[in-house]
Amino acid sequence: MINHFIPKNLSEALDILSNHDCYIIAGGTDLMVQKHRSSGLLPTFEKDVLYISNLEELNFIRSDDKGVHIGATTKYRDISSSELVPQLFKDVISELASPNIRNMATLAGNIGNASPAGDTLVALYVLDAYLVLQNKESKREILVKDFIKGVRKIDRKPDEMITEIVIPHHDLHYYWKKVGSRAAESISKLSFLGAYITKEGIIKDLRIGFGSVSITVVRNRDIEKQYIGLKIDEFSQQIPEIIRKYDEIINPITDQRSTKDYRKKVAMNLLKDFLTKIK
Amino acid sequence: MKINFVINKHNVTVDVDPSMRLLDVIRNELHLTGTKEGCGEGSCGACTVLVDNIPYDSCLTPIANVIGKEVMTIEGIRESKEYNVIADAFAKMGGSQCGFCTPGMIIATYALLQSNPHPTDEEIKVALSGNLCRCTGYQGIINSVRLASQKGEKND
Ligand SMILES: Cc1cc2nc3c(=O)[nH]c(=O)nc-3n(C[C@H](O)[C@H](O)[C@H](O)COP(=O)(O)OP(=O)(O)OC[C@H]3O[C@@H](n4cnc5c(N)ncnc54)[C@H](O)[C@@H]3O)c2cc1C
Ligand code: FES
Ligand code: FES
Repeated sequence: MINHFIPKNLSEALDILSNHDCYIIAGGTDLMVQKHRSSGLLPTFEKDVLYISNLEELNFIRSDDKGVHIGATTKYRDISSSELVPQLFKDVISELASPNIRNMATLAGNIGNASPAGDTLVALYVLDAYLVLQNKESKREILVKDFIKGVRKIDRKPDEMITEIVIPHHDLHYYWKKVGSRAAESISKLSFLGAYITKEGIIKDLRIGFGSVSITVVRNRDIEKQYIGLKIDEFSQQIPEIIRKYDEIINPITDQRSTKDYRKKVAMNLLKDFLTKIK
Repeated sequence: MKINFVINKHNVTVDVDPSMRLLDVIRNELHLTGTKEGCGEGSCGACTVLVDNIPYDSCLTPIANVIGKEVMTIEGIRESKEYNVIADAFAKMGGSQCGFCTPGMIIATYALLQSNPHPTDEEIKVALSGNLCRCTGYQGIINSVRLASQKGEKND
């Protein structure tokens, strides 16, 4: 017998989680597809279900010195229209799914789903975003990159839920490309986000992320670090070497959306295009 | 579980499993069959309804998510004066052929024109980007939305 819980507030939700191992449903745009059988039949949930979409306490966007805080039930629609949210992030969301889905779905759901094609994940990795997980007793913070353990694998204990996501402030220039088969509603074949800061002709920051080329986002800080501090003309000479380094670590697979060769080629072309645009 | 919400301005209570799709509640419990099921997985927009005036895919929405909210289906939109303008425009400009996508297209158009009465063609395309049509080739639909926006303006 499966229980369905529709909590009135956060503390009730956390109480329920402390006693029941639940599926958490926010917008449902991932889970309702994964659990759907056929028209007219109920979805198949094998364990209890907790519906959080209407928890108003977690529907917020605010900013402080740590960054922009986005509540776990805040919908993409509201994230896109907020003045507090960085443009980079809005650009990523504007290409995610479709208007209806952006009206219903949440950023926490994109993280919780931990799909290799999750579009916001590339940006969250590149911006060093972290999330707040809460249980009945306490809270903890964890970087998105450490929270995601693999395909649909996350570091969530049964009594915890994501309550907010924090995107640190930045003044990065960025280069974002999502490659899909049509403008709306296409799951990425591949995505790329490059970001940098230059000051007085010197590379002050460099960050590179690839989505859909591996089981999780690929971002390699060791490679990035080697080029921070270089003058731009020295950096330009290093571009072939940088490309070679990424060439070694980008090993995409073939699946129903694309082939490994296509993914690899496009990933490397986008990287090159980004690197040559740094000024 | 007993679930209360508002459908087309009437309070209703349904006694269903909270995970039941809003689409199934609308069609099978409330017998409002104007809302269509195309793909059943969020890709076609045929099942579009308004929830508190915002377009949702009813095939992805568990009924638990609309407790206490106002749901509007094409049957409810039909009672509005905007509907007549939009439906006329779809008829004049060839925006509907088999009609299967049309309830969803009309709701997407209605929601767009409510928030943006004078959309550009680009804004029309974005607003309808989640609604698929297998018949018209879309140009007739875009022309319909543009005409509805011009007509609506005259009625203001
Ligand atoms: C047609 C279609 C197109 C799509 N296109 C894209 C696309 O272009 N790019 C993309 O990235 N995604 C896409 N998606 C996937 C989906 O819309 C997103 O992943 C969305 O962000 C999920 O949010 P949700 O609130 O609907 O999640 P839900 O389905 O409610 O939940 C998703 C997962 O997250 C977990 N979860 C949710 N909230 C919490 C919480 N507070 N704490 C802990 N766990 C939580 C759930 O348990 C579940 O495992 C698409 C989906 C569809 C149906
Ligand atoms: S039936 Fe809901 S989007 Fe296709
Ligand atoms: S008119 Fe037939 S699907 Fe659009």
